[in-house]
Amino acid sequence: MASAAPSVPPSLTLPPSQFARLQPHAYLLAHLSPPASSNQPSIRANGRATSQFRVTSANTGSLTHTNGSAVVRVGDTTAVCGVRAEILPTDDIASWSVSHSSSSMNKRRKLTNPAQKPTQEEEDPEDETHIQQLNLLVPNLSLSTGCAPGFIPGAPPSALAQSLSHQILNLLHSTRLVRAEDLRIWYQPPSLGQEDLERHNESEQMDVDAERGEEVGKDKEIKAFWVLYIDIMIISLAGNPFDAAWAAVLAALRDTKLPRAWWDVDNEMVVCSDAVSESRKLSLRGLPVASSFCVFEADAAAGWRAVIIPDAEEEREIEESARKGIQRRWILADPDGYEEGLTQERVCIVVDKEEGTGKTVIVKMEKNGGWAVDGKELKALVDISAQRWGEVKHILEQC
Amino acid sequence: MSSPLVLLPGDEVPSEYLPATNSAPLRLGPGLRLLTQPPSSSPSSSSPSHVLTATQAGILSTDNKRNAVSIFSSPNRRYIPTPNDLVIAQVHHSSQDYFHCMITPQTPHVVLGQLAFEGATKKTRPMLKQGDLVYARVLSVGLGAGAEIELTCVNPATGKAEPGGLGHLTGGMVFDISTGMAARLMRASSSSSDQQDGVAGLVVLDELGKKLEKAGGFEIAVGRNGKVWVDCSNGGDAAVKATVAIGRCLTTIDEHDLGPADQKKLVSRILREMKIDV
Amino acid sequence: MVGPAATLTPLARADGSASYQCPSTGSNILGSVNAPVELPGRRDALKPEEATVEVFVKPGTAPAGVGERYVEGIIKGVLGRLILGRERGYPRRGVVVTLATVGGDSVGRGDSYLTLLPALLHTALLALLSASVPLSMTFSATVLAVSDSGEIIREPSTEQAAAAKSLHVLAFSSKGHLLLNESQGAFDFETWEKVHQRALAICHGTSAIGSDGDVAMVEDVDGQPLEGTIRETIEDQVHRDYAWKIDAV
Repeated sequence: MASAAPSVPPSLTLPPSQFARLQPHAYLLAHLSPPASSNQPSIRANGRATSQFRVTSANTGSLTHTNGSAVVRVGDTTAVCGVRAEILPTDDIASWSVSHSSSSMNKRRKLTNPAQKPTQEEEDPEDETHIQQLNLLVPNLSLSTGCAPGFIPGAPPSALAQSLSHQILNLLHSTRLVRAEDLRIWYQPPSLGQEDLERHNESEQMDVDAERGEEVGKDKEIKAFWVLYIDIMIISLAGNPFDAAWAAVLAALRDTKLPRAWWDVDNEMVVCSDAVSESRKLSLRGLPVASSFCVFEADAAAGWRAVIIPDAEEEREIEESARKGIQRRWILADPDGYEEGLTQERVCIVVDKEEGTGKTVIVKMEKNGGWAVDGKELKALVDISAQRWGEVKHILEQC
Repeated sequence: MSSPLVLLPGDEVPSEYLPATNSAPLRLGPGLRLLTQPPSSSPSSSSPSHVLTATQAGILSTDNKRNAVSIFSSPNRRYIPTPNDLVIAQVHHSSQDYFHCMITPQTPHVVLGQLAFEGATKKTRPMLKQGDLVYARVLSVGLGAGAEIELTCVNPATGKAEPGGLGHLTGGMVFDISTGMAARLMRASSSSSDQQDGVAGLVVLDELGKKLEKAGGFEIAVGRNGKVWVDCSNGGDAAVKATVAIGRCLTTIDEHDLGPADQKKLVSRILREMKIDV
Repeated sequence: MVGPAATLTPLARADGSASYQCPSTGSNILGSVNAPVELPGRRDALKPEEATVEVFVKPGTAPAGVGERYVEGIIKGVLGRLILGRERGYPRRGVVVTLATVGGDSVGRGDSYLTLLPALLHTALLALLSASVPLSMTFSATVLAVSDSGEIIREPSTEQAAAAKSLHVLAFSSKGHLLLNESQGAFDFETWEKVHQRALAICHGTSAIGSDGDVAMVEDVDGQPLEGTIRETIEDQVHRDYAWKIDAV
């Protein structure tokens, strides 16, 4: 900049990029609370408003050797996700013959919670148990070398990568996104009509599980499962990896097609059809969308300065009074790497909307690392997340 | 004085527990810190208000004489060297200028200058061997990770071993006690007690002193690092037995938190068991 | 209901330790704290002006996996804001917290750690207190399950948690701040507010203020608040340790 014009005497001002590196906290603070005289709006250093997410784009099916794949880019954070399905024959499951008597399990589950009313959302309770016990979903996230400075080749998976893998697996389980029925490979013996043993049980599941309902009365048997290996690579990390990774998983699962598979009695093995027309997509439950936030404190030293920490009641009063005056903290949506380095408190909210009613359902809500966010703030963040849900839904439906 | 106050981190110290105000500034011991009200948050009060809060869990202790207040936290905590502590160190090896000593098994070796003894010169430096014991004072602890802790056996200003007794400990035996017990023993042994219950709840030293007078008395050195050195070199034949008896008394009292009456009973019982005539 | 039971300083060699049993969730945790300690080999990773907090969670039987990494991150986030890492002797050194599950159900792969989390947090807090690590305040935490019928179950057992519609872990500082919230399963915000109030009552035993500012009274159905239990545990230990001083007064 200055070197371009050597005649200009060297000034004491710094170009913004250097100021940002030398005094990151002051730089962001100056953007968020501009002097009243300058008439500028409060804006983040990256040009976004506080509750604005980065530009998000998604692309599915770009990897040809997978059953489903997606690339999701949120600003400069890019996640690639590939889903690969493999067959797990029940003969290979050591505990299968002992535990698979599904009817008795159903009964037991029913007994444990008699208060449970069969609502329309009521579904095969075995779903979770099968997926969870047999590990039918295997997500693995890797932060690839060079995705951000500090990720060197040959290092073991970092604690961040491990905890992100766990979060994704946990969210897959708790949202019950994938239906176990989609992952089952059945065998239908050519029967001559037997008595149904579990008629009442099946009738309850009929509406969810139409395929199974058609075959009421036949002695169906699960012969194998599909195991979905969900591999996520963060190829570029610029903050907020979870939102991008989860969106990539969601997009890839929506893209996943499983070939038609059946049990071949003569060969005693599972055979798949290679006809593309026969393959079917997974039918996912809902569309949970993750939104992350961080809290930026105006006072960089707030964490260690020897001041009285106001208790929760006082905190609320201060917050009220601060409404007019100086703002003490900002909640920033979708933080980039620069902002993440300056903040401690994190919030992550995953929401979904009920089909039909459009009611917002929170699927996961986490906050940690501070005490700035309380009930009121969370309520506002849930509303922002619900808005974000619409945006992401639009993006995912277009790709 | 009201009943002792147990504080948890974040609790405020009530003003009635602070020493009566006089001109001298209040001295804050470990476990307490002074907090100020952030200036912006309360526009009503113009002057910044101050509050004393605890940072550790423990019992609040006020010393009116020294105008000091501090928190007594867990007595079993590990010893962390602070300047001016008296410690018992064991020589591990020596180098050109320093003896390298151990004060606790967990910490790296501390250094003790070869010339940091009373009257030591280049020619007349003490010849300490591996395993020898030294009663020393912590001179400095350094800053940050990997800093070396330095001990000394003289007061650097005067060149004297102050208080008496610093230097090589010959004979005797070392017993391990908790750091809390070490602090109590130091108070008990440094001040002559005329109270019924002894200083810091310890009557054991007075009791032992009375009973072992015939056996020639004993010497004791207490290190803040949880070590106590005992010697009865005047005891003649019973010297070793008496030393062990004293050590047993101190460690048992530490382990079982015995009160004054039990301490007296214990002393008589151990002396009887060890067949030391009183 | 039977409250949790805790012991301070059960381990002689660690700087501080605590064992904690919660009868309703069936968790039994042993924790130790070593602080301040030198962390060899990680000099470059240490912050120059603060202590580095490290948390290790050891499951009962299996080797630690990704779930433990995740829960370690959560605990580190909570403790990191409370430990005064700039007090004398702490900068550039480490506070190492090790938590081991010694009884109760272990957590399988991909299972949520939420039922165990309050016990882990309490153990860590008690161990830190027993190690005399300087803290800015204390906290208490609880786990609540919301069943299909909308009933809130305090400290659910593993079966109850598995059958629940949503599961919530909340931690409050001793000054009433919401320090931590971990919720999973489907729920709406009104449910969460009810959970929040109930959790505040369990931890503090006081009336809670809703997000809209109205004071809602919560009847004292939960017995002694958890904060009181923690305070009592500490007081008992201090009274034992300083019997000589207290008796003398």
